[in-house]
Amino acid sequence: MTAPVAQSSKPERRSVLNWLLGAGVIGWAASILYPTLRFLRPLGSVGAGGPLKLTAEDVATLGKSHFVIARAGTRKVIVFEAGGELRALDAKCTHEGCTVQFVPGDSLVWCACHNGKFDLDGRVLSGPPPRPLTKWVATRDGDQVTLTMETA
Amino acid sequence: MTGAQSPAAPASTGERLYRWLDARFGLGRLVEFARHKEVPVGGHSMVWYYLGGATLFFFTVQLASGVLLLMYYQAGEQTSYESIRYITTKVPFGWLVRSIHCWSAHLMIVALVVHMFSTMMLKAYRRPRELTWLTGFVLFAIALGFGFSGYLLPWNELAFFATAVGTDSVKSVPVIGQWLLEVMRGGPDVTINTLYRFFALHVVILPLVMVAVVSTHLLFIQVQGMAKPMAHQAPSRPGLRFFPDFLLRDLLLWLVCLIVLSVLVYLLPYGPGIPGMEWELGKKANPLAPAYPGIKPEWYFLWVYQLLKEFPAHLFGMEGPQAALLVVTVLMGIWALVPWLDRRAAKGLPSPMFTDLAIAAIIFMAYLTLKAWDIGGKSADPSKLPDARATAWTCAWIVLGVSSAIAVLRILAYRQRWMFFSGAALLQVVLNGVFGVDYLIAGAVALVVVIAGVVLTSRKSPAARLEAPR
Repeated sequence: MTAPVAQSSKPERRSVLNWLLGAGVIGWAASILYPTLRFLRPLGSVGAGGPLKLTAEDVATLGKSHFVIARAGTRKVIVFEAGGELRALDAKCTHEGCTVQFVPGDSLVWCACHNGKFDLDGRVLSGPPPRPLTKWVATRDGDQVTLTMETA
Repeated sequence: MTGAQSPAAPASTGERLYRWLDARFGLGRLVEFARHKEVPVGGHSMVWYYLGGATLFFFTVQLASGVLLLMYYQAGEQTSYESIRYITTKVPFGWLVRSIHCWSAHLMIVALVVHMFSTMMLKAYRRPRELTWLTGFVLFAIALGFGFSGYLLPWNELAFFATAVGTDSVKSVPVIGQWLLEVMRGGPDVTINTLYRFFALHVVILPLVMVAVVSTHLLFIQVQGMAKPMAHQAPSRPGLRFFPDFLLRDLLLWLVCLIVLSVLVYLLPYGPGIPGMEWELGKKANPLAPAYPGIKPEWYFLWVYQLLKEFPAHLFGMEGPQAALLVVTVLMGIWALVPWLDRRAAKGLPSPMFTDLAIAAIIFMAYLTLKAWDIGGKSADPSKLPDARATAWTCAWIVLGVSSAIAVLRILAYRQRWMFFSGAALLQVVLNGVFGVDYLIAGAVALVVVIAGVVLTSRKSPAARLEAPR
């Protein structure tokens, strides 16, 4: 009578031990994996915050090259003058993230990487970009150019 | 030592060392294994057995030249570009070491791709070598990872935008896309933090993984031996002894590879001038400069680059790049799983469908690559954009001409008949390039042809299918 009882309790004890061991291994792996994954993801950068002013050097480049690309926090903005009006758009192409340029001759904004074309308001004209470029408001006050993100 | 041993000649130092080691590590078993190791003969050319070795040779050159470059290269916003320029202009033979590293990288990819396609066409992946194929596929992916991560290290304009585009694609991955993008870039954008991460990847992580996977790949080959030609292709013949017969031939090929590498390095130290195969430093990366016209990735990524251009802004509720990368992922998945998909080869039966799949893959990639090079569409005025229609027309005719010649060769020399996959790939090329049909619509038509072909073939009797060799 005692032998079968001993046999049936043995696998149970073994399975509990196996379960505990398995949980321990998973816990051990998670304690290594989680900090590693958190370590790999960089800290978030601070955004533009408020209006952005172009430097004197940027303003000079704008006069010479018809456009300039400036950093606004974590974003890049292209500022250009078309038809006497100062305009600004996100400089990062919505297709694969290349930096766009202003083509004064064709009055359009162009991405050289995959031939995406946008109009002066950032709307897609042709090519593979899936979304328009975000519009910024550029205002000139004497020699100073200020950029603010356009609110919807 | 004793009187009984005195008539024998005294053992040489080498023999004594061998016995010393044998007593401790049982070298006899290894020697016995090596003595019986053979390379299969017959059925197809022996050339295909040497390509893995050639790939390994170029990888070894990469490790050696990479370690030398590390002596001078300094990763950093103010030092990466400058240190590469210093290596190529000031350090004695620095240009030579860098050029060896670049050329050998390209030759390694060439050898690897030819090795992979020959394995595919000869069905060497068939049971029981499924995992050898899979580890080979992983090695192919790692090699592409090496190319991609190494590209950024000079921190020049080309590197900057190639990395911006390449890493941006990652955000299409469902759920973890954005996380993966930031982990790869070390932030939301490509900055010097990206270079630090790519540097670690290129010189530490990938080499470690590569060595581990290469070792596994070689271990599988040692355990299972090299794949014999398919039973229906040739009767079994005695093999070629690996030691020393095959090894000596292998060494000779390595010598030839070294000579080819040396000639290329000496004559064209900055690459052959083909887009995607040139390593002039150019301008230093400026994150605030626009991408310049004619910017292209390495030649082996060109087909993906062109595919990204062919997709519209939106498709089936997905953004264009997302849909394009889904297609690439599915195609790569199919390629990795070929040993399990090819049920006929697993049984040792002719499998013409998968031979044709390899040809179709070549046609598909060749057309996109030629288009990415703007062949036939370049304008004399460099400020003008290439004419996409003229490019498609010229590339289609080139692919059509070469593919037709190969098809004739396949029919006459190899008696191959099953050509639905390659036919469909060619149909897409003709519809798009010659008749100007949209690339994706042409692809959809080709897909219908493929499905019809597979259905029709599977309805035929097994005996009819056996008629086609390979």
